[in-house]
Amino acid sequence: MKKMALVGVAALSLGLAGCSKQDQPVLNLYNWSEYMPQEVLDQFRAETGIRVIYTTYDSNEAMYARLRLLDSSSHYDLAVPSTYYVNKMRNEGLLAPIDRSQLSNFDNLDPSLINLNIDPDNAYSVPYLWGTTGLAVVADRVDPAEVTRWEDLWREDFVGRVMMTNDMREVFHVGLRVLGYSGNTRNPDEIEAAYRKLAELVPSVRTFNSDAPRMPYLEGETHVGMIWNGEAVMGQEDMPSLTYIYPEEGAIVWLDSFVIPRNARNVEAAHKFIDFMLRPEIAALVSTEIGYATPNVAGKALLEDDVRGDRTSYPTEEDLVNAEFQEDVGDEALQIYLRYWEMLKAGR
Amino acid sequence: MFGQAFRQPFKNAVLLLVWVWLLALVLVPNVLVVGTSLLTRDPVDFLTLPFTLENYQRLMDPLYVQVFLHSLYMAAVTTVLCLLIGYPFAWALAGVDKRWQTLLIFLLIVPFWTNSLVRTYAIKMLLAGNGLINSGLQSLGVIDQPLELLYTETAVIIGLVYLLLPFMILPLYAVFEDLKKELVMASHDLGAGRLPTFLHVIVPLTLPGVIAGVLLVFLPAMGMFYVADVLGGARNLLVGNVIKNQFLDARDWPFGAAASVLLTLAMAFLLLAHRFSRRRLGEEGA
Amino acid sequence: MTRWLPRTYLALVYLLLYIPILVLVVFSFNDARTAYRWGGFSLRWYEALFNNQAMVQAMWNSLWLALAAATVSTLIGALTALALHRYRFRGKPMLQGMLFVVMMSPEIVLAVSLLALFLMVGLQLGFVSLLLAHVTFCLPFVVITVSARLRGFDNRLLEAARDLGASEFTVVRTVLVPVIMPALLAGWLLGFTLSLDDVVVSTFVSGPSYEILPLRIYSMVRVGLRPEVNALGTLLLVFSLTMLLLSQWILMRSNR
Repeated sequence: MKKMALVGVAALSLGLAGCSKQDQPVLNLYNWSEYMPQEVLDQFRAETGIRVIYTTYDSNEAMYARLRLLDSSSHYDLAVPSTYYVNKMRNEGLLAPIDRSQLSNFDNLDPSLINLNIDPDNAYSVPYLWGTTGLAVVADRVDPAEVTRWEDLWREDFVGRVMMTNDMREVFHVGLRVLGYSGNTRNPDEIEAAYRKLAELVPSVRTFNSDAPRMPYLEGETHVGMIWNGEAVMGQEDMPSLTYIYPEEGAIVWLDSFVIPRNARNVEAAHKFIDFMLRPEIAALVSTEIGYATPNVAGKALLEDDVRGDRTSYPTEEDLVNAEFQEDVGDEALQIYLRYWEMLKAGR
Repeated sequence: MFGQAFRQPFKNAVLLLVWVWLLALVLVPNVLVVGTSLLTRDPVDFLTLPFTLENYQRLMDPLYVQVFLHSLYMAAVTTVLCLLIGYPFAWALAGVDKRWQTLLIFLLIVPFWTNSLVRTYAIKMLLAGNGLINSGLQSLGVIDQPLELLYTETAVIIGLVYLLLPFMILPLYAVFEDLKKELVMASHDLGAGRLPTFLHVIVPLTLPGVIAGVLLVFLPAMGMFYVADVLGGARNLLVGNVIKNQFLDARDWPFGAAASVLLTLAMAFLLLAHRFSRRRLGEEGA
Repeated sequence: MTRWLPRTYLALVYLLLYIPILVLVVFSFNDARTAYRWGGFSLRWYEALFNNQAMVQAMWNSLWLALAAATVSTLIGALTALALHRYRFRGKPMLQGMLFVVMMSPEIVLAVSLLALFLMVGLQLGFVSLLLAHVTFCLPFVVITVSARLRGFDNRLLEAARDLGASEFTVVRTVLVPVIMPALLAGWLLGFTLSLDDVVVSTFVSGPSYEILPLRIYSMVRVGLRPEVNALGTLLLVFSLTMLLLSQWILMRSNR
């Protein structure tokens, strides 16, 4: 009987060994959690035979640290850093140049979103999606008309019900804007002032969440706070009362771009994938499913009217008054931010 | 004789294997961590000279002292709760008919097979403001506003107790199994009442199990960063979160290593206490 | 003493232990996308799970890793326990002490130190790094389990066998192994369980070339979105209960 059991185990092991065999070409994509529909990956595989391994991170810092850590071992073929991290990684020589000749669909991109100062001439990055960080309000609990500014988060009746993203730069952006400073400041005094302002808010904060900022609202834990516009769109499917508001002090604007790490093993497949993602119909599908805005003009034209007309995903010009693009602040200022950030989060 | 000739190589091979394993995968890595903790952070290459004690000084920063103390506190509460629940549980378990014991032990282990992360998530579904506990209590009319359960210290402690309870029960069960029933009866026969029997016979005899259980709960409780992440809402940090953030987000390896060394020292302290208590116990028994 | 009191207590604690798992099972059949409302009975998440190749792959990877880690650690652990039991050698207390320390180490300490090691020697993070790490933290548990069994074993039986002319290998195979078989199984099961349950160590030493379950679901779990995780948990539960019943059955048959 025992022998039988052993044989069974052995057979099981062999079976499993068979399952883990991988002989197809593989593309290692390192991306934000829930930032690409599965069907896109499936379709890419069906067309090219390349299997995309999609692993996720929840902050630019984590992505950057891991890429640095595994730099020499060529683990990742593609990553999707936000605006200011493209700049940082490019300056540090972490990226491989993009070969424009392999991207037949590059011209679909919005001219106003390419050739930005974070990466002149898009030598190292190709825009994937852009979005805004603004205010979220659960309309059943809080009157959306009464929340128009970041500063409203400091209201006393919100104690214990505020949600902030778990993103240092974004949270400081809010503090800095409320005080009238730029969200990209490198001035230590302004950063400290923002810290002091934010320290008053922290007791009200129920949770910091950057994996899925909509979830604390859906769970019923928080009623007001920060959210990314795409998360708001996704959240509205389960909770129609979730409202997205562009704060008067200005929303935070960011652009996430594909980059190829310098030691990527499968550079050709990476280009193929980027070009695939630049197709109008794929860009439209992504924007519809994920709820963020596509920088792809041809793709945007294909969108259903209710998606394209949704101000949450596609802000009007007046929504973006005072809005600021996130920029790199340099390692020196970053350490100052980091220090105050740790103090903020440890405060209770 | 052949046997003798075989014996030596067999013994040597086994010892060599296990020693190499432990040296290469336990001792060397830990030496590396201690070494790392004495170096300086480098934004690009992670580590650089010179040697410094600055990382340990930073641990003395009120900010981290606070995190460490809070983490100690949550781990301590978790341990006490596990002991309070686990001790009578192990006792009762040892008293169950032998045939059922194996099955019951298995039932204790089965939840582990659904990865602890999945179970932490299940707890989150229970505790959320719109979750089962709150909506249940609300529909029963016990409360009209949802209780604040999720993203609190309490939630983290509930999660830790839930995940670590079996680690308290198993060593306790082992000592209760060994505990000779006769001994208790003898004490009874000699006229000792129930409480004295418990205090003077059962407690000392099960103490090794208690200490083993405490060690297996208390130390991991400070490291389970995912429980704090999922249930604490990034507000109730454990030492594990600090270490993980330094290694995997902030890229400050020396500082993360120093925090890890601190945790190792805490362990060494507890292990010494464990040895000491065993020795005393041994002397009393003799 | 009354017998219902301890039994009620046992039942109560078991109930608490299984409530979260029951919730998981129930919501795996929920048609709605979140666990915060009930949308009717549905099997759609099981379908979604099986269509989610990455997830299924991660599940196989996890099981395969647990199988390998349990087997390797049982082999090494059992041999170590035998050596500790049978032989006198220099450094024996130190070896025992070290195993004890490994068992008591917080996982995060082990995780950090192994990551440092793997990066220094340039080992690619993947199956091998995971296996080495998992075997390391399973090892002491196996040694303890087997040692406990050996402690109750009469050494004279071995002497007798050897006096009768049996070689060391034969002695081990025919006398010792049958005796410690239950402990081997228990140790293996323990290793398998610990490996499957681990999150902390795996977070540090895994790479994208070999993704296992906890990492696949780490982001998803915090997101709380995909009820596929509930379906997955349910399947794992069914699998473990089946194994449990099977082992009980084998045990009963062999006891007869």
